[in-house]
Amino acid sequence: MMRHFLSRLMAPILVGLACATAQAGTDYALEAMEIEPGVWVVEGSTENFSRENGGNIVNTAFLETGAGVVVIDTGPSRRYGEALKRLIEGTTHEPITHVLLTHHHPDHVFGNQAFDPDTLYMLDTAKELLRRDGEAFADNMYRLVGDWMRGTEIIMPEKTLHPGEWEVGNRRLHLLEFTGHTGSDLVVFDEESKVLFAADLVFHDRALTTPQSPGLTTWIEDLELLEALPFRWLVPGHGAPSMGNMALQQTRDYLAWLDEALTRAASEGWSMTEVTAMDIPSRFDALEGSRYELTRTVTHLYPAYEKAALMLLE
Amino acid sequence: MSRWWLLVLLWAGLQAHAGVPADPFGSPMWEYNLERYLGADVQVRHDARIDLQVPAFAEDSAQVPLTLDLANFPHRPQRIIAWVDLNPVPHLFTYEPGVTPLRLIALNFRVQQATTVRAAVQDDEGIWHVASAHVDAAGGGCTAPSLTAANPDWERSFGTIRGRAFSRGDHLRYKTSVMHPMDSGMVDNIPAFFIEQVELRDGGEDELLLRLMLSESAAENPMFVFELPHPLAAPRLWMRDNHGNVFERRLEGETG
Ligand SMILES: [Zn+2]
Repeated sequence: MMRHFLSRLMAPILVGLACATAQAGTDYALEAMEIEPGVWVVEGSTENFSRENGGNIVNTAFLETGAGVVVIDTGPSRRYGEALKRLIEGTTHEPITHVLLTHHHPDHVFGNQAFDPDTLYMLDTAKELLRRDGEAFADNMYRLVGDWMRGTEIIMPEKTLHPGEWEVGNRRLHLLEFTGHTGSDLVVFDEESKVLFAADLVFHDRALTTPQSPGLTTWIEDLELLEALPFRWLVPGHGAPSMGNMALQQTRDYLAWLDEALTRAASEGWSMTEVTAMDIPSRFDALEGSRYELTRTVTHLYPAYEKAALMLLE
Repeated sequence: MSRWWLLVLLWAGLQAHAGVPADPFGSPMWEYNLERYLGADVQVRHDARIDLQVPAFAEDSAQVPLTLDLANFPHRPQRIIAWVDLNPVPHLFTYEPGVTPLRLIALNFRVQQATTVRAAVQDDEGIWHVASAHVDAAGGGCTAPSLTAANPDWERSFGTIRGRAFSRGDHLRYKTSVMHPMDSGMVDNIPAFFIEQVELRDGGEDELLLRLMLSESAAENPMFVFELPHPLAAPRLWMRDNHGNVFERRLEGETG
């Protein structure tokens, strides 16, 4: 017993040391993959935030337009943002003119510091959400990935992005605002390359992060609108980019299952821990982190399903 | 001295400890809280037939779900005491039985840090059967601060009660939620304000079905789940907070 107790006390110290040595001289080692001419994706892992991956669990991207580079999201930390900027500068000779931030989650905007504040664009509602939740996210990120976050501060984007069609250089980008993932989610569609940057409305082989969804059915409706776009490539917020709509269908299938399972559980009076432990269909075996995310989903979303299944007693 | 004798002495030493087995989780609070809540001279044993369910980690430290399922526990519970070892006030609830045995109870609690959680169930011979579980401190990176805590509108919904009965074979599961801040008295000088007593009474004979005494570890806007054998008539739920507010509702019969 004593040994167990001691080992728990020791753990944080040992982790701290391991990080210090492993990270000296270690970088995010980002790589850009050109999926269409002038369109690059920087793919992260599908893991959870950890002290090993430094929060590099997210996809960022950039496009040449002939009139400057458009960047989509800045990553989880200042260090990531700086690595991304170096990668862009080593890949294209065009200057970075626009950085579009898809939503307020820390893994998408905490690299802002690396970029000229003049170039940072975000939807109005997403900015409000970042103002509201940013500090709490930062605390969480420092706790989860530790030293990788050193020097990271929340930078509020100066420019407000408005949905609509946008001519930039030789590209026409469609900027679409949805709400399913956080309440304000930007999607970018490039007509020229037919690449859809779906951000966190679509995950691929990774269980969805739902704590801030206004509702799973809202999210499903968003996906139906997305599917109508004539895209060839889909770049999800998490997981590998893919041709066609398989990632979108996987996301929708998972959402529909979740919504139905939570509705059924509530109608049968299940408790929260019972729902957390429910069977996840084997067709979702490929989705990394599904039990973990289900625990989170149930914590945040199940109470509304429960409430709807009860009657007001007067 | 042979090794065998050493073992015997070691075993005797453990036994000398008033019938308290070692804690599989090695919590520094194990013996202290056992004595605090169950008393000094008690028989305690770990019992895997008591199903204490908590999540592996606390995604929202203000709302951590707990289910205590006694379906496989062969004794009629005389008393149940649940606590959260490393909370400032560890006690979560004490259950006292009425005329029918409780099969399942669920409610949410708060945590301050990673901790073990205990449910001690006393059988009719006075022996305490303990189930333990561990909750890790916090979950993932996209967790926002609790919105209800910062919501100034709660007074409008204060005391709103929802409920429903669900059929579970020869049992009924009652689920009721009440809007109540359940302030623990340990945050920002907000005085303690929480429901401290919950009772369920048979709607016909007014006999007690169960009584629950709650403490500061219970979560805001509680959702109570109780599973009991079918009562004769739709039971009445009665609750009182530490400011003397009383809430009373008739729970609907079987609807689901
Ligand atoms: Zn996100």
